[in-house]
Amino acid sequence: MTMLRQIVIVSLLGLRTLRQRLWQSLVLVVGMACVSGVLLSMLSMTEGLHRAYLNYGDPRSAIVVSRATIFEILSAIPREQARIVTGAPGIAQAPDGSPLVDSSLVTGVPAVLRKNGARSFITLRSFGPKGQVLRPTFRLVSGRMFRPGTHELIAGTKASFQFRGMALGDKVILPDGEWPIVGTFTTGDLLDGQLVGDTETLMQSIRHKTYSMVVARIASPDAFGAFRKALTTNPALSVDVMRLRDWNAKISADTSAFFHIAVYGVGIILAIGALFGCFNTMYAAVESRASEIATLRALGYGGVAVAISILLEAAILSVSGGLIGASIAWLLYDGVQSGFGSDVFTLTVSPSMIGTAVLWAIAVAVLGGILPSIQAARWTVAEALRAR
Amino acid sequence: MKYFPLVWAALRRKPVRTLITFLSVTVAFTLFGLMIGLNDTLNQIEARARADRIWTVGRFNNFSMPITVARKVAALPGIKSVSVMSYLNGYVGDPKNPSGALMADDAYGGMFTDQLSPEGWDAIRRDHTSIAMTRLQAEHFHKKVGDTFTLIAPQAVKADGSNVWTFKVGQISEDTLQVPNGMIAGSYDYYDRSMPLAQQGTIAEVDSVVADPARAAALAEEIDRLFANSANPTQSTPEKTLLAVNNNFGGLNIGALTREIALTGLLMILFLISNVIAQSVRERRAEFAALKTMGYSDGLVIALVAGEAALPCIAGAVCGVLVAAGLASQLPGVMPRTFGIPAPVMSPTVYLWALASACIMAVASTALPALRLRRQDIASVLSGRA
Repeated sequence: MTMLRQIVIVSLLGLRTLRQRLWQSLVLVVGMACVSGVLLSMLSMTEGLHRAYLNYGDPRSAIVVSRATIFEILSAIPREQARIVTGAPGIAQAPDGSPLVDSSLVTGVPAVLRKNGARSFITLRSFGPKGQVLRPTFRLVSGRMFRPGTHELIAGTKASFQFRGMALGDKVILPDGEWPIVGTFTTGDLLDGQLVGDTETLMQSIRHKTYSMVVARIASPDAFGAFRKALTTNPALSVDVMRLRDWNAKISADTSAFFHIAVYGVGIILAIGALFGCFNTMYAAVESRASEIATLRALGYGGVAVAISILLEAAILSVSGGLIGASIAWLLYDGVQSGFGSDVFTLTVSPSMIGTAVLWAIAVAVLGGILPSIQAARWTVAEALRAR
Repeated sequence: MKYFPLVWAALRRKPVRTLITFLSVTVAFTLFGLMIGLNDTLNQIEARARADRIWTVGRFNNFSMPITVARKVAALPGIKSVSVMSYLNGYVGDPKNPSGALMADDAYGGMFTDQLSPEGWDAIRRDHTSIAMTRLQAEHFHKKVGDTFTLIAPQAVKADGSNVWTFKVGQISEDTLQVPNGMIAGSYDYYDRSMPLAQQGTIAEVDSVVADPARAAALAEEIDRLFANSANPTQSTPEKTLLAVNNNFGGLNIGALTREIALTGLLMILFLISNVIAQSVRERRAEFAALKTMGYSDGLVIALVAGEAALPCIAGAVCGVLVAAGLASQLPGVMPRTFGIPAPVMSPTVYLWALASACIMAVASTALPALRLRRQDIASVLSGRA
């Protein structure tokens, strides 16, 4: 108890004299603000993209792609194989008794990015008869649905945010002429940045002989095993079967691994810089408070209490810097819409990310403050008085 | 130079403080090196892109066009030569280990010596059943010349019914900037002849060289117009446009982003060293007053302080970029293999920028203490009244 009291008294004394060491202390605050500001700004993008992929599509769905495919666009499932998949066990049924399964096509259509005029591709996906039912969050926002068999498209509400010429009424150049966008829709996930058309019409037009994937709603969570087994053991098929969520994690794994290495790499380097700043700040603080510390020690305050109070001061400065940086990142980026190619998503600065920034700040304070605090604790009264 | 011992003595007085300054500058320039280095590398790739090459692919991303597209492109006036290639995608051993080879015709090798060395292309030309690979790929798959490379390609089933493609490693080339993740190349003729008759004559890409680079963009449009209403619409892009930094990263302005991060690091450390210099000057006011008394001019005293700042800054900048170069060389081993972004290479430009920034930092961190030094009154400082 006395220990705790000592720590409180010494810390309060230290904080009261903080104003005299304002510029010194700002080094640590500014340093940590830079670290957390940069870290959270970058994380807002990688986390936003990561979440968008995790929440993409209906979690009850499973996806069938050709064997060993790493991108949707490289997958090819011939019609006869798709037919076998449609008849597999474990697929949920629509009220009319038909299986909830849809074969579709994914391709890229050349498009120009609104942001910088660069050439890119917008993802064009197709819906078969069950395409809409398999996406329960699908909702038309304006215009109407495309009519199967006609050269019409609908666009996600965010497609025109990312690309030029993708709004209602615009025309997209595809084979067989210009295809009008007759409606806009939202699903609340990555599909919002894409174009959707009718499967058979599109395949005919762009002369694809194979589907890209088959998506099926699984009847119950236990049914997935049977569904997968039926397809992967069938010698007529050469496919991979995955839960949709697992597939999304798989196709975004490399992108997110890359971003994580980049973001945390930059963050760690900056944090090491802040650590030196912390060391310098606390070292100077200990030096300038030498006589104060000596007096306290002479009065009977323990070395440990002094050391802990120094660390506490470092932590307070560091965490306040961290929070300043986090608030800047939050103000600038939280909720802002962003895009990466055809992936349109929302930047996120979540409470847990702010928690991460605080943890980093504490780590910097402890690692940078430990040596100065040990020095303060080990000073004998005489030495400290002389250091003045 | 004669003042060097003076500066050195000042730096040695508080070795911990000097070390901290040096180390923090090193850290800031490690980040600077990685960021500006990446930027510089991307710019170099753009600069090295050949202005006279056009890449033509299927407009709707299906990686398959009939080879006649190449013949028609070759017939266009202004096109000097044409080559074709296809991709053989699959995996090595396990689907978790994706790989692929670019199967190019003989003309391709003559055109793209910036992807693989001429010897590499020659090896494929001499023996169509061989492949050539860059060092990065060879190291990843532990291959040396003469080894067998087996690729399982589920979507490229050969005429004999097998999807197992076996090649001999004919040559290993050094990696080039233009192909950051390395490549494996084989013979298109061999690939084509191995496929079932119905699938022969299919290509993924036509690459052409134009006679006049200034007309590359116009010719690219002309090619696309030629196929606009055909069964195989094309998407042609001059290589300069395709490899432009701006054109990649899905709209992310990577140049601005890297510069901002590098600048944040520098500003953070600038704040730190400004404080260190200010503190050091504050502690030695009497010393500076003594120097002035001995006839040192204001300018000289300030120059001494600036020198004190510049020495650790410049040393830190050089060390920082060296550390960055070391880290960058480790990156290919850490980064995922299918998400390609080149590892930064520290060119002389990066070192020059680092040195310039270090000098600016030294001057900026000295500015405030210098003002105070100029204003100080010698008599009052020495008598201990100020």
